[in-house]
Amino acid sequence: MKKKMMAAVLAATMTAGLTACGGNTTNSAADSSADTTAAGSEASTQAVLTESGEGQTITFWHSMGGVNGEAIDYLVKKFNEENEKGITVEAQYQGNYDDAINKLKSAQIGNMGADLVQIYDIGTRFMIDSGWVVPMQQLIDADGWDVSQVEPNIAAYYSVDGQLYSMPFNSSTPIMYYNKDMFAKAGITEIPDSLPKIEAVADKLVKEGGAGEAISLSIYGWFFEQFTCKQGLNYVNNGNGRQDVATAVEFDQNGAGVNTLTAWKSLYDKGYAPIVGRGGDAGLADFSAGKAAITLGSTASLKQILNDVNGKFEVGTAYFPKVSDADQGGVSIGGGSLWALNNEDAAKQAATWEFVKFLVSPESQAYWNSQTGYFPVTTAAHEEPVFKENIAKYPQFQTAIDQLHDSKPESAGALLSVFTECRTIAETEIENMLNGGVSPEDTVAKIAEQDNKSIEEYNLLNE
Amino acid sequence: MNTKKKKGFSLGAYCYVLPAMLVFAVFLFYPFVKTIYLSLYKTNKMGEAKLFVGMGNYIDLLTSASFRNSLIVTAIFVVIVVAGGMMLGLLGAVLCNRAFPGIRIFSTAYALPMAIASSSAALIFKIMLHPSIGIVNKLLHLNINWINDPKYALVCVAILTAWLNSGINFLYFSAGLSNIDESIYERASVDGANAVQKFFRLTLPGLSPIMFYTLVVNIIQAFQSFGQVKILTKGGPGESTNLIVYSIYRDAFFNYRFGSAAAESVILFLIILVLTLLMFKAEKKGVSY
Repeated sequence: MKKKMMAAVLAATMTAGLTACGGNTTNSAADSSADTTAAGSEASTQAVLTESGEGQTITFWHSMGGVNGEAIDYLVKKFNEENEKGITVEAQYQGNYDDAINKLKSAQIGNMGADLVQIYDIGTRFMIDSGWVVPMQQLIDADGWDVSQVEPNIAAYYSVDGQLYSMPFNSSTPIMYYNKDMFAKAGITEIPDSLPKIEAVADKLVKEGGAGEAISLSIYGWFFEQFTCKQGLNYVNNGNGRQDVATAVEFDQNGAGVNTLTAWKSLYDKGYAPIVGRGGDAGLADFSAGKAAITLGSTASLKQILNDVNGKFEVGTAYFPKVSDADQGGVSIGGGSLWALNNEDAAKQAATWEFVKFLVSPESQAYWNSQTGYFPVTTAAHEEPVFKENIAKYPQFQTAIDQLHDSKPESAGALLSVFTECRTIAETEIENMLNGGVSPEDTVAKIAEQDNKSIEEYNLLNE
Repeated sequence: MNTKKKKGFSLGAYCYVLPAMLVFAVFLFYPFVKTIYLSLYKTNKMGEAKLFVGMGNYIDLLTSASFRNSLIVTAIFVVIVVAGGMMLGLLGAVLCNRAFPGIRIFSTAYALPMAIASSSAALIFKIMLHPSIGIVNKLLHLNINWINDPKYALVCVAILTAWLNSGINFLYFSAGLSNIDESIYERASVDGANAVQKFFRLTLPGLSPIMFYTLVVNIIQAFQSFGQVKILTKGGPGESTNLIVYSIYRDAFFNYRFGSAAAESVILFLIILVLTLLMFKAEKKGVSY
């Protein structure tokens, strides 16, 4: 009997350790009341910029690692040295975008978060709903700052009800990269601008151009969203979640999903677009290694691709492909923006605004663009010598800027609170479609069903 | 409970236990109770318990094809990892149990996986298994998309984990082997036993206590594998490598559904609890001390 007891206790302790891992992170989140949201949004209407921000120290959370992180550190250091008000910015790297927003969720409960945070595009709806933020528009208006300096198509993404909620900072769009040498060898002069056209030249690229595969198309939810955008159709209802909070997805109703996946599956079935993996970077290796003739990727990957290719072949860039030749839509932007948190400290708020102004100044943006490949969010940055030098060195970047200018503000993209989850669902089901031979129609239905369930639950629990 | 004798209440004894209990209370008991509590609720975007659903989360889970898939995938994964990891460790330990030149180099090599973090190993494997630039396809002259094909992805992650776990197993088994009295082998030789007989009749029974311990630890460790999945496959392709722990992580920290994640944790706890109890039962039959 005693032995049995011992065994039970031992077993329980061993396993309790395991369950505790899943539990301990939640306890801090569960204790506070649900009223923080309501209180936050009331307070956010308070008067802003009543103080100058002199001598303040503010905390800035960002998600830029590697080369991009170094560029941020440089800008922060420059600001700390040069600003006339004696403001000190402490920049803290908080891990990737997902980590940062999750840390913010936990930190805000104790109101010990940062003054300024960088949040990814798909966190926009969450941040607006959270009630933790001072809309950037209020700071802009209070200072009389000219908002038309911001690239209109970029501003459109972060504007809801005519208010710019956050300041765009690192913006990118997806573009098509292609191997110019392979195209030349295959004798293709017209660069395909749609998935069917890629399919039409695929055989030539493989047989005559010497490509291992025509296109290295990574399974990435962002691309699925962008293909919807290219068709000029909505991803979610209520005006893509911009007129009101979205209550369901729309890509299953308006045909956008089926169109995209039919073209995608056709490329896969014919062997032109084998599975190369999930996520934004998965397709780059095949392209840089000279195996794939085409790949899709973020403009922010341009530097990396050029480094990896290292002159082995000439890299061309073109617009992100349409789903069918008749499509009229554009691309929406991705990347991150800066959110001012409402810490009920007017002096810090003023200091935060000074720093934001510095970050989006033409000079900073030109530097930022040349170091990272993100867009300069202020149009005046195009006049900076640093920018001009960079575009002379990497003419491929011009494609990205043209593409953005050719897109209309209407293709600003969807806002959705549960975007991270929906993106994963889309990726999983697209994988199932390609691996398991599921039809595009069924795949879209499956994605929509899971998305809607998750949206419904979120709206129910977070009213 | 025959040892229980009436003794006076001793405050001093409780004082000694108190610090340990405090640590347990904060880091184990409280989170544990909280997990069970959360599993009965649906949570809002802040992770606060918002809507009481009773057994709702459990019913949702047990009826969802995705969770059933996670259970099956986890079961296959654990079998491959435990069997593979223990066999690799045992093989290494038996090979290194005799003196020959360079033994230290071999011992270090076999124990080394212990020192490698699962994430860095996963990153290296990701490059090695890459279909076009990876060394595995180059050496084997194959063209297999290892981690993006549902047929191979789980096996790849499992073999990586087995190799990672083999290091510590090697250490356990080496310690176990050195505890077996050399003289019984000599006596067996005199009786005419061959190497195979010696291994199965002497080595394995001699190792059984440490074997049992290693098995229990390995099973629990296998259930907890996370870093490899996150880096190599992210649960995909499809859901073919969506282990329970990874699915808990996604639910909790991506989807911010702590209720459902807590329910999954509780189910995982029950599975491991039952398994461990069964093993302690079996211990009496198979293990000779």
